[in-house]
Amino acid sequence: MAGRLDQALKHAPLRAPSPLFDRPRAPRGVFTSQTGFLRALGGLAVVLLLVLPFMDASRYTMSIATSALIYVMLCMGLNVVVGFAGLLDLGYIAFFAVGAYVSGIFTTVLGFPMWLSLIATICACIIAGIIIGAPTLRLRSDYLAIVTLGFGEIIRITANNLDITGGPSGIHGIPSWEFGGWSFDDGFSIGGIEFPGYVVFYYFVALVVVVVGVIGAGRLGKGKMGRAWKAVRDDEDAAEAMGINTYIAKISAYIIGAVWAGMAGQLMATHLSAISPNSFQFLYSALILMAVVLGGMGSTPGVIIGALFVSLAPELLRDFAEWRFLIFGVLLVVVMLFRPAGLWPATAVLPWLKRQKPQPPPFTSAVSAVDHGEPTVPPSVMESVDGLPATDAEEGRQP
Amino acid sequence: MMQLIWNGLIVGSFYALVALGYSMVYGIIKLLNFAHGDIYMLGAFVGFFTLSAFGISNETSIPLLLVIMLLSMVTTGLIGVGIERIAYRPLRNSPRLAVLITAIGVSFTLEYGVRQLFGPNPEAFPIRLASTGFDVLGMRITASQLVLVVIAAVLMLVLAHIVERTSQGRAMRAIALDPQGAQLMGVNVNRVIATVFFIGSALAGAAGVMAGAYYGSIDFLMGFIIGLKAFTAAVIGGIGNLYGAMLGGLLLGLLESFGAAWFGGEWRDVFSFAFLILFLTFKPTGLLGARVVERM
Amino acid sequence: MSHAPRRRTRLLQFAAAASLVIATAGCSGGLGGGGDDGGSDDGPIKLGMLAPFSGSESAFGEYMQNGAQLAVDELNADGGVLGRDLELVVEDDACDATTAVAGANKLVTDGIAASVGGYCSGATLPTLPIFDEAGIPMVIPAANSNELVEQQLPGVFLINGTGTQQAQAAVAYSEKIGASSVAAIDDATAYSADLAASFVEQATDAGLDVAFEATITPGENDYSAVATQLANEQPALVYWTGYYQEGGLIARQAKDAGFDGVFLVGDGSVDAKFAEIAGDGYTDNVVGTFTQTPDMIEGADEWIADYTELAGAAPGPYSTQSYDAVRVIAQAMEDAGSTDFDEVVAGLEGLEDFDTFAGPLTFTDDHTLSGGGFVIVAIDPATGAFVLKDDLQG
Repeated sequence: MAGRLDQALKHAPLRAPSPLFDRPRAPRGVFTSQTGFLRALGGLAVVLLLVLPFMDASRYTMSIATSALIYVMLCMGLNVVVGFAGLLDLGYIAFFAVGAYVSGIFTTVLGFPMWLSLIATICACIIAGIIIGAPTLRLRSDYLAIVTLGFGEIIRITANNLDITGGPSGIHGIPSWEFGGWSFDDGFSIGGIEFPGYVVFYYFVALVVVVVGVIGAGRLGKGKMGRAWKAVRDDEDAAEAMGINTYIAKISAYIIGAVWAGMAGQLMATHLSAISPNSFQFLYSALILMAVVLGGMGSTPGVIIGALFVSLAPELLRDFAEWRFLIFGVLLVVVMLFRPAGLWPATAVLPWLKRQKPQPPPFTSAVSAVDHGEPTVPPSVMESVDGLPATDAEEGRQP
Repeated sequence: MMQLIWNGLIVGSFYALVALGYSMVYGIIKLLNFAHGDIYMLGAFVGFFTLSAFGISNETSIPLLLVIMLLSMVTTGLIGVGIERIAYRPLRNSPRLAVLITAIGVSFTLEYGVRQLFGPNPEAFPIRLASTGFDVLGMRITASQLVLVVIAAVLMLVLAHIVERTSQGRAMRAIALDPQGAQLMGVNVNRVIATVFFIGSALAGAAGVMAGAYYGSIDFLMGFIIGLKAFTAAVIGGIGNLYGAMLGGLLLGLLESFGAAWFGGEWRDVFSFAFLILFLTFKPTGLLGARVVERM
Repeated sequence: MSHAPRRRTRLLQFAAAASLVIATAGCSGGLGGGGDDGGSDDGPIKLGMLAPFSGSESAFGEYMQNGAQLAVDELNADGGVLGRDLELVVEDDACDATTAVAGANKLVTDGIAASVGGYCSGATLPTLPIFDEAGIPMVIPAANSNELVEQQLPGVFLINGTGTQQAQAAVAYSEKIGASSVAAIDDATAYSADLAASFVEQATDAGLDVAFEATITPGENDYSAVATQLANEQPALVYWTGYYQEGGLIARQAKDAGFDGVFLVGDGSVDAKFAEIAGDGYTDNVVGTFTQTPDMIEGADEWIADYTELAGAAPGPYSTQSYDAVRVIAQAMEDAGSTDFDEVVAGLEGLEDFDTFAGPLTFTDDHTLSGGGFVIVAIDPATGAFVLKDDLQG
């Protein structure tokens, strides 16, 4: 009986029903679509950043700009963990420390070149991500917070106590990237413009890595893995019921976050040429988390804004020396009171796009041929709450 | 051995007092109040300010300590209520992380506000408890430690009475279970939350004054580490559970005491945090916490 | 597929915009125009100071700033250096590498002629290559980790005695009082751990029995663990190498726990606040290793009065060293007749028996002090201040 049914089904033409509507074309263009606008904004930001050293190449500007870029990298990584996967991490600086220390130890103590230690850094961060991720899989938010906080402190105290990490004074004399006999420190000149290695040149390296990091994290967040993270974040049980392996989703979020932080750590180690355990205190974990939440969890432009705020505000307030943390604290409270979802929330829609009523999509010919009547689904259903067509338009994917 | 236990219990009672406030606030509005450790610091500075204003120094009288403590408790309690009103209440329906960040902001504000007022240097606390020591059962116990333990125990008993036996306490437990349900039953939710903040902050303020009188030195960052430790203690005990917070505080004190003795002071925190992580891996809800299904 | 050309045009637009901006931006200060990092030849000579003004070590920043400012004011009143006024530029390093590097770069951009700062070794180390590359000599008043001079950068001078020298004084005192067993406690910071390790090493070499070496976490209140350890092991002398806040607490708690040996403290703890924190009756066994303090030197009352008038508070740790750092660099510039890097370094190396609080100063080949000038001080029960007890001269 069953065999015959199988036989019958085997030869039956299986065809998906024709779609009711044509899939509307995602709007394009700089001012008519969210994606287009963001891409243009991102491109503009990159151009401005590229131009910055030509405007002001003073050491101070370059130094804080590099630090700010590294913060952006760190915050993008934490955004994967907290913003996408919804795992509250209060010890994120630990991964940064792992990256910085591994590259520091490999280059100074073991004498490897920087590019080799990059591989070691990434491996170490993956391992650290698994070690920290594994015991936390069963825990939910607040317990997760304290466990990650504990890990952060364990890493810092261990670095402070061990000899190989240089104890409390840390590691110094970390070399720059070098290839053969040429190192970034030497600098070079193109077309009469002198690139004084050190700060300015390093700024470009950081810029490239960070741009790749930002785009990479953003793409990951939109891919299959990213959708799994968001599902786990919104409802873990439902996600599991839909066939998402929540363990894998969570641990991969940790690993991605760890690798991003490790890259940032390596950039930082090379940028500063010296690292010490003082830079990896809990305060800094809190600051990075603050950047992510302040900017808007899960929102790439928001997190970048948050990172820039957190890294640049203390510098801009430098002249207020003793007042700056007080001002910082008050500012933070005020911003959160007026924008609790962050400065640029993940669900934000550009104001001029919000008012735009999308046209109801045209019916496919198949429908009208068969039905001749009114469509069974009223067009209004296709409008989502925020007025955008309920498609993946803002994700900008090609079908 | 006995000495280690006793030392651990002394530190633990400080942790427990601060952890209680943490846990109460968490239990009722699910907020990790990062500024709680700074309330402890404020308590110490309120005491310091009052005593200095009256020109008192090098005092050892216990009644004076109690008076100052009460004053500090009222002041910090009111400050706690004020913080809740200004910084936390408007955000009650916002994402929980937003409130957490606000709490960090409040913490910065308190710390560096006090720094601006009193300067960055540590100050000597004007009341010092006499610490004549005597040996019991192989432990060396000082008079000031006994005073401290008695005060801590009395405060905790009073708190237990309030939560278990009064209508306010019943309202608190009701809100912790189901805020909307409690509101429907006619509980004034805002007022009860304010009360919780008052009690929690008052306890932290009392702990601050006691720390000043017992250890003798206060500074604007003194609340930071104890805030972290109290958070840890609250989680070990099962966050949201009052008895858990007391138990967690004492347990953490003991862990640190033994950790320092076994592995050396530099590895003490590594030991306690590693224990915490292993413990939570096997018992993810803490000692007395209930298993709750929750979402971020 | 049909979108590809549009994207390309947009890229082209960006490229055009970018090249336009680059073309117009070849102004001074940018990569194209020659950067001017050194100090200018007119106007005041700027001295930069990195010190902690925020975070847990922020108390020391003000002591250092005020000490240096006093020296600057005095020198300016005497006509300045090379006919130009001095100006002190202060930046916060928060005892953190990142903040310190940004601060150092800011100072370089401000065009300082010399650096007279540096408190935390961990935060000072990453600033060395920055100043070195910019051709700025450094006279470091407080940070004294051996690693600072190990890199043998030509412009780095330490005017705080190194841990080795201070530990020497501590061991000498231990032997003098006939302490058979000693212990060391540090607070896990670079300065303190260095000093404790050096003390243990030299004490072992001197044949003293080292009972234990412990580390505590700074910023806490309860040090009963180490106090109990002291009471149980009862070393004749314990050397505390951290700062006065924890030092006062440990001295008190150790005595309560039943420790009755000598409580020797390092220079970070030599402060009147120590006695205040430890409390009455807890300081009679406390002595310290210290370089000469103002109140031990003739004519220093006046200095303290001047300082108090300027700062509104009494001088603290590293006030004198910062004061001396400014005077040392000013003297070197005066001797060199210029603010040029090589000449100032030569001037610093050529200083002979320059009068400082730490005694006559001559730099050794590795740019540290020739003699630490450490003495033993004890607490005066009446005032709580540290006073000279033993100058260790025979």
